[in-house]
Amino acid sequence: MLAALDRVTKRYVRSEGVQELTLSFPAGEVVGVLGLNGGGKSTLLKLLAGLLFPTAGRVRVFDGAPRANRAQIVYLGESDALWPWMRPTDAARFMRGLHKDFDSARFAELAGALQVPNRKTRAMSKGERGRLRLAMALARSARLYLLDEPLAGIDLISREKILGSIVHEWHTDETILLSTHEVAEAEGLFDRVIYLREGRLALDARAEALREAGKSVVDVFREVLT
Amino acid sequence: MRPLRTLLWLEWRRSGVWAVVLLSSLLFWAWGLHQVRFVDVGRQVAVRAGLLTVAAVVGALVLCLMVGRIRSETRHGQYQVLLLTPPSGYAHVLARFGFAAATAVVYYVIIGGLFWWTFARAGVGFDAEAAVELLLACPLYGVGLTVLPALAWTLLLMVFISAYRVSGPGWIPGTVMILGTPFALRWIVDGLVDVSYRLPPWRLLDSVGVAVETMPQDADAQIELLRASLLGVPQEPFWAMLALAAVMLLVAGRLWQEVEG
Repeated sequence: MLAALDRVTKRYVRSEGVQELTLSFPAGEVVGVLGLNGGGKSTLLKLLAGLLFPTAGRVRVFDGAPRANRAQIVYLGESDALWPWMRPTDAARFMRGLHKDFDSARFAELAGALQVPNRKTRAMSKGERGRLRLAMALARSARLYLLDEPLAGIDLISREKILGSIVHEWHTDETILLSTHEVAEAEGLFDRVIYLREGRLALDARAEALREAGKSVVDVFREVLT
Repeated sequence: MRPLRTLLWLEWRRSGVWAVVLLSSLLFWAWGLHQVRFVDVGRQVAVRAGLLTVAAVVGALVLCLMVGRIRSETRHGQYQVLLLTPPSGYAHVLARFGFAAATAVVYYVIIGGLFWWTFARAGVGFDAEAAVELLLACPLYGVGLTVLPALAWTLLLMVFISAYRVSGPGWIPGTVMILGTPFALRWIVDGLVDVSYRLPPWRLLDSVGVAVETMPQDADAQIELLRASLLGVPQEPFWAMLALAAVMLLVAGRLWQEVEG
């Protein structure tokens, strides 16, 4: 098992992030993490990345604590998270210097394919920054990818490019957890979908099983979460 | 993969403007020194030394602000990116501290140069040894004793607050640390006074003092001040404060592993 949560609860100062969550993620899956705002999606991804520590329960990634295995995890957070002076060349230098699994040639290819402009991030649009961050993330050869809202606030053309890159770069031994509100657009990617409501697991289903039952991921989203 | 080199490069890109502005501010202080034109040499030296002391304090505050800019990075998500990079917390803390410490050394060595200029204008002639003492030994002693521990304290404070920020009220550990510091400082100073001069003192201003003998008669106060320092400075506080800074950095590096983002 690549990653697992065992009865995990995460409390913040004034709210609960997730409650009593038990999940496991084998290698080779693309998992959609779906839910309304405040449903616990970001908390779940941050727990797996090691950015948050559980209040109760246990999170294991590669059979150890997530933070201890951070070199094997790619986490793409929902905030912009890049320094405003960074150009794609700076981003490549940053990643190459800190991540052993970063492939500069692959980054250049991805940045070209995603049409990332060669200027400082402060002069980029949100979509361009999103594509640069995705190129940085996908140019690594990790086994667990945690992508938190990579499509948020990004135009349709950029969204298509990002989804295309995720499909193109995915290898069968890698697991991707993708949280998104663009459920309809991302639906075709998912092997499995997890629906979270108010921090609790509402449904964990195989996308194929839903389709066989004549339902789309979007239909079930509406059914389960509204 | 060159983690420390990359983190130092990142520090330069993050904080280079701060460092350049801080170092450039010395032009302003130099201009200020030049404007002091008392006929009384002693008063002239005193006012200029006062200005340089203010510059030294302002520099320390700016350096602390420079290393403590963790909150804005947290808000914009850059801190989270750093938390998930493979290098250990010790490497991150060391890079931040190292860049600020290097800036501090350059800044205070230039202030040492301005002190030299102040004395030279007052008619004090320095030999090579005195110049080295004033330009290097005195600033480095001062930086080791005060600025480096202050930088380490600031880094520890910011990491301490951020370690409790997400899942708890981060202001509580911050307040505890800030309120506790004066008491800890008093205890440290008392202890350092007790142990000072057990080891042979460093006669940092020895040859400077001899040079000051040539000063005009109206610079009595400065001569007395420098004569007093001819005893030499104790080395124990220097080593103790450096050790304290190292301990604070180690704790900050360890706490970095526990910070949530």
